[in-house]
Amino acid sequence: MTRHWQLGAVLAESGAEETVLRHLGSPAALHVVGGRLRAGAGYAAAPREARRELARTGAILRLRTRGAYVLHASGAVAPNGSAWILTGDSGSGKSTLAFALARHGWRVLGDDGVVIRIDNTGRSMAFGWRDPLRMSCSLFPVFPELVPLEPLVDERDPRRRVPVNAPFAAGAPVAGCVFLERGEHDGATRLAETEVMAKLIAQSPWVLIPDAHARDHFDALRQFAVGVPCWRLMNTERQLHHISATLEGLLS
Amino acid sequence: MTRYRVSPNALAASLSDGVVLLNLQTNRYFSLNETGTRVWNLLSCATPRSEIVATLAREYAVSEEEAGRTVLALLDELAGEQLIEAIEARS
Repeated sequence: MTRHWQLGAVLAESGAEETVLRHLGSPAALHVVGGRLRAGAGYAAAPREARRELARTGAILRLRTRGAYVLHASGAVAPNGSAWILTGDSGSGKSTLAFALARHGWRVLGDDGVVIRIDNTGRSMAFGWRDPLRMSCSLFPVFPELVPLEPLVDERDPRRRVPVNAPFAAGAPVAGCVFLERGEHDGATRLAETEVMAKLIAQSPWVLIPDAHARDHFDALRQFAVGVPCWRLMNTERQLHHISATLEGLLS
Repeated sequence: MTRYRVSPNALAASLSDGVVLLNLQTNRYFSLNETGTRVWNLLSCATPRSEIVATLAREYAVSEEEAGRTVLALLDELAGEQLIEAIEARS
């Protein structure tokens, strides 16, 4: 049986042996066969953004076959070796706060994606998805060390971001997770497991792909929700300088 | 006697404060409160509807009529979301 599904601009047909990914905006196709990616018709000639989106989805599917699941999140590893996941909707401050942590000696796990794996003791581990952080140039007054990067501003990006290379972490056990929301006040609220699970589904939407890996993906999110303490973190600009202490304070 | 089975498209996560359900066909997901979780756990074991109602009436110290209304409303909702399927069987 072939299953049809769509996430973002990627349309897919999943069969028993192969998934074919197509892009809504161009005729490009990418095949995922046995966890390997193979360019299909129109892929080489497709616009860069379409190829990038197909390749990212293909890589996420490939990881999924190996028990590793991508969360739409940034993350960082503290000097003590424990990882924090920063997740939330676009514009909630994921990249900015990951950079703010890097300034305090933390190592970054990713900008827009972090890979989660449950180890054989049931512990949630986080691994990096090596994209550079993309920082809005509106933050130049707060982080003056970014000013020399101004020529790298992507003018097609409405948020006018620049790529920033911060020290990367390979992987670490997850100590906690915050679901970020911009607010007028700083404040953290511990979330119940059902709230966490619902939020994790939203931030790891590939769990909705109705294939043979959906059940394992769903169970990995469940184990994360049960094993990792999670908070809703309303954040203001104050966190640009205090996020490290805020996260450490949540566990104390 | 009516029993229920969990739809093959439904995934359920049991958590300390309830159950989260995901329907892979509709891409919709739901959380159940304490009562809903109790009903889900009973129906997942193929408990007949009449027994689910009697169990809830006993555990929550309410009339069978009141428990029946609550259970039927939830079962209708779960069936409407294609998370469960009714199985009619002779008693």
